[in-house]
Amino acid sequence: MQIRRSRLASLTAVAVLALLAGSTSSATPRAQAAAKTQITVYAAASLTNVFPAIDPHEKYSFAGSNALATQITQGAPADVFASANITLPKTLNQKGLCSKPVVFTRNTLVVVVPKSNPAQIRNIYDLTKPGVKIDIAQSGVPVGTYTLQILNNMNLKAAVLKNVVSQETDVREVLAKVALGEADAGFVYSTDAKTVTGKVKVIKVPAWAQPKVQYGICVVSKSADKSAAQAFIKLVLSKAGQKKLHKFGFLARVKPAPKKKHKK
Amino acid sequence: MRRAVGSGLLIAVALLTLAFLALPIVGIFVHTSPGKLLHQLSNPVVKDAFLVSVKTSLLAQALILLLGTPTAYLLATRRFFGHSLAVTLVELPLVLPPAVAGIGLLTALGREGLLGSSLSALGVTLPFTQTAVTIAVAYVASPLYIRQAIATFEATDPHLTAASRTLGAGPVRTFFRVVLPLARGGLIAGLALSFARGLGEFGATIMFAGSLQRVTQTLPLAIYQEFDIQPDGFTTALAMSGVLVLISAVLLLTLRIALTWQRSPSSRSLSLFGLSSSV
Repeated sequence: MQIRRSRLASLTAVAVLALLAGSTSSATPRAQAAAKTQITVYAAASLTNVFPAIDPHEKYSFAGSNALATQITQGAPADVFASANITLPKTLNQKGLCSKPVVFTRNTLVVVVPKSNPAQIRNIYDLTKPGVKIDIAQSGVPVGTYTLQILNNMNLKAAVLKNVVSQETDVREVLAKVALGEADAGFVYSTDAKTVTGKVKVIKVPAWAQPKVQYGICVVSKSADKSAAQAFIKLVLSKAGQKKLHKFGFLARVKPAPKKKHKK
Repeated sequence: MRRAVGSGLLIAVALLTLAFLALPIVGIFVHTSPGKLLHQLSNPVVKDAFLVSVKTSLLAQALILLLGTPTAYLLATRRFFGHSLAVTLVELPLVLPPAVAGIGLLTALGREGLLGSSLSALGVTLPFTQTAVTIAVAYVASPLYIRQAIATFEATDPHLTAASRTLGAGPVRTFFRVVLPLARGGLIAGLALSFARGLGEFGATIMFAGSLQRVTQTLPLAIYQEFDIQPDGFTTALAMSGVLVLISAVLLLTLRIALTWQRSPSSRSLSLFGLSSSV
């Protein structure tokens, strides 16, 4: 018993020392160069699958972009903010809470229905049929705003909103409730639909009705390690990062528009 | 001397604890001016959420009262095979994370759930309805009432019921004329606790019933939603939080009063959560 207790004590001492060593080493620049410090990335829920694939070593907090923006405003310890729109990071930038945001990818929206398609939705106009249970994100969340834009563009707003049974706080909750078969249809990003291919059917939203979905990323002003945060953004914007985004169905950060004639 | 140091320390620790518990409450009321908070109460989001909360809570508590009281009486007065299991089942929602309760309700009563197809055959779909909110609230809040009711019934002097029976009253009459009047304090206390817990329900509701203004958006759900909406949402969320703090405080006070009311010699073992009776 005596022996065991002393062993426990020494183990505790070792653990404490290791912790202390860990915390001091992160302060010395040399150790930092050897092992890159982990940063905290606050990212839109729709980036849940792709960001860890781009860089598995960081800490991530995924949620509705607006919730993340609120948390950053309240002083949450984020280093990078990646939003499903450009307006939220721009607002934070104007308040001096983050660097000037850059667009790092784009996306489109689709309608998803459960594989069994209980309400027999064949196109977006079927969403106006009485009794269809539609789930959307609330309007403060980027995807919720985009959903309303689509409905506005297609002149379907009143008819579809009548059928809305729930408003979620991020896109993945909409996806979950459709994939579970509880809701008949929901608006999500096309990239979200790809994460549950076996469970949902995708109904396309016409290109002319699509809103401009640009993802903005910035370095949070209170970040303790801005260079690491900057490096993360660089990685996302790099060829490798963009390739990963493309693989998960995201669009190139700049719309490949017909090239303007160069003045020579 | 040593004694004085001891009691000084005791008081200091107690003060620290009380300050820790009071601080968040103070925070809610001083963060924004009372005028602004009061102004928010006329916000339609707040009004709608308040109405949904009150309606679903009252329905849920009525359900708990009607079904929970006989159940508690049975569990308090009879011993049978599986008694402990039944009591555990009653108490489980108390310790279950609300999100787990939400998933459970979905897998049981959701459209694709265990009873989903049978319910559909009857033309009933529960998720995203006010009924779903009521069910979620009843599920998570019921243990608080039933536990307290069991403890209260167990503490009722069996001689009095026996006397009632020997004087010719049937079991039903005895229950309504003797047992219930004796137990009313404890039952009201249990109901107050259950009501307070039900009003605060969040996780099971958002998973099972979703969140839609005027239909399923209760006060806690509205707080969660408004919190993110800058710049006014936070104030709205604060105002609703203040309302919930006040209601909860009144309910707890009711409970205190009800318990003193109950405290007759025959129910000495009664305690707030019926904990003493289960030991």
